[in-house]
Amino acid sequence: MDAAFAAPGDTDWTRVPVALAWYRRLVTGACCLAVGAAGALFLFLSGRPGAAVTWAVAVLVAAVVLWLLAGRFQRSWGYAEESAELYLTYGVLMRQLVVVPYGRMQVVDVTADLLEQALGIATVRVRTAASTADTRVVGLPLADAVQLRDRLAARSETFSTGL
Amino acid sequence: MLPPNGAWGAPPPVPPRRPDPAADVTTGIFRSHWLIIPLQVLGVTLVFVALVGPILSQFGLAWVIVLAFAVVFGSLAYALPAWWYGSFGLREDHLVVHSGLFLRSSREIPLSRLQAVDVVRPLLMQVFGLAELRVELAGGDGSAIRLRCLRWRVAERLRVAVLAHAAGLPGRAPEAPEWPFYRLPFLLLLGALTFRVPVLLSFVLLLLLLTAFVVFLEPGALAGAVPLVLGLLRYYWGPLARYTDFYASSSSDGLRLRYGMFQRRMQTVPPGRVQAVRVVEPLLWRALGVARVEATVAGYAGARQADSTALLPVAPRGRAFALVNEVFPESEAALVPLVDNRGPLPHAVGVDERLFVSVRGFLCRVTEIVPVERMQALRLSAGPIAQLRRRVTVDVDIPPGPVSARATDRNAGEGRRLLDALVEYGRRARVPSAGTERWATRATMHGDSVTSRNEGEKTEGPNGDTPES
Repeated sequence: MDAAFAAPGDTDWTRVPVALAWYRRLVTGACCLAVGAAGALFLFLSGRPGAAVTWAVAVLVAAVVLWLLAGRFQRSWGYAEESAELYLTYGVLMRQLVVVPYGRMQVVDVTADLLEQALGIATVRVRTAASTADTRVVGLPLADAVQLRDRLAARSETFSTGL
Repeated sequence: MLPPNGAWGAPPPVPPRRPDPAADVTTGIFRSHWLIIPLQVLGVTLVFVALVGPILSQFGLAWVIVLAFAVVFGSLAYALPAWWYGSFGLREDHLVVHSGLFLRSSREIPLSRLQAVDVVRPLLMQVFGLAELRVELAGGDGSAIRLRCLRWRVAERLRVAVLAHAAGLPGRAPEAPEWPFYRLPFLLLLGALTFRVPVLLSFVLLLLLLTAFVVFLEPGALAGAVPLVLGLLRYYWGPLARYTDFYASSSSDGLRLRYGMFQRRMQTVPPGRVQAVRVVEPLLWRALGVARVEATVAGYAGARQADSTALLPVAPRGRAFALVNEVFPESEAALVPLVDNRGPLPHAVGVDERLFVSVRGFLCRVTEIVPVERMQALRLSAGPIAQLRRRVTVDVDIPPGPVSARATDRNAGEGRRLLDALVEYGRRARVPSAGTERWATRATMHGDSVTSRNEGEKTEGPNGDTPES
């Protein structure tokens, strides 16, 4: 199975830094905290403290599992720049390998939300004329992201063959 | 005062006739026919009377008449200047369209980027000899240019000029000659549309319900017939009226389709604008040996997608595949070797230097064909269960449309080989000169590139590394 999702040729995947795992942990942690606290408070106030404790424990277990999975998720991300295509792999449950020819890229942009800015990472998003493919490289350090965007934009110009 | 004609030989020079403004559409400024004003006013007034009239009639008929007159003059006061200020014209190989009264807008369209050109004539416009010209661009639903209420001859000449500019020729170039490709006999259309399982079942059910109504005089039976009639109107009468008198011809400007009973349409799809094609063969049509061909064209997005995607509504299977070869030249879709996935659902795919072909469907067989240079992205994916079974799915992403090409439920190694082959063939097919803009002036360049590419392939050595072998 790993052979099917291996990097092209004799290259290796360029992996993204651990900051992505921390981004994921912070987001899932905050979500679990909100859901757990709200649910437990509601159950406690409606007079079922036992159910409230069960709920809180269940959410805690989910948070721990997500915390541990965040590392695997971060390690699953990788990209490789071939001579004419961008290769991209990600996903733990739903493993994906995406190939986008440089000539097909219509828009390349870099985005970073508040938490990403605090962690110093950014997302490079590539759009093609196909609406189904949302291809992006997440969790790159900001400087690398900007360089990757410039490289991709230059190559999309060089390899351009229309629609 | 003047002496009679012929007395001194030479007749006096005839005053030059005012030149027909429709003779040359490449210069000058055009606007819609003035008939658009009464049509718009009539439409607005009718809508007003129909919607507000019942409420106003409580105050008396006089109010309705007075307010209707106010609406007539109000809409006239808007429609008249809007018609005068809404103009368009060709400037070099750009189409410039001015529109709007309060919010003036001016669009300039590079014609080399157009995806398709349609001339549409609804019934009312045919009565007045008018037509609508639609220039489809790749930007999605809102990006089509619609020039309404043109005189039919102006619309036709404008279509020729627009296509000439898109091909890279001067705008006054004559229309490219065309060769007849297929004319659909009405009886074949009628028979094929009737000879489908859902339609036949609906007819039988409708007859049963009507019989029940007549025998038992039960009005509830009629209520059951209403959805059936609506469905038949949509899926039986709709295509029947739309594709009556269907005629397809091919030219160097691409495929030309003419069809329609009440709404005449003339559709031109320039070469290289078709992103993907699918041949649909429903269960009973396979017994007849006929098929339907639909195409993904980047311009036909959103609401217009449903009634513009059919390249051949009904055609013998051989003609259907001949059309596929016409649309994707230098390739042969029927000869691509297919490999079945040996799964519960039959799904065979194949790839060669030019095309990706997938055949799926148990009852309704769908053959999807994507040229490898048109692929936007490739995706290899495996869900949690597929990972345990060591199976993968390969998706070929193309612009939105009726075609969705994928290879489902493949062995992991086989799927990866398929992906690598697609990447390799796509890389070779996507040479920069393979673009589709200004196709007429590219013809020689393209020939050069083809030969050089063939030489390149020779130097690279044999490559029989298909995923099937």
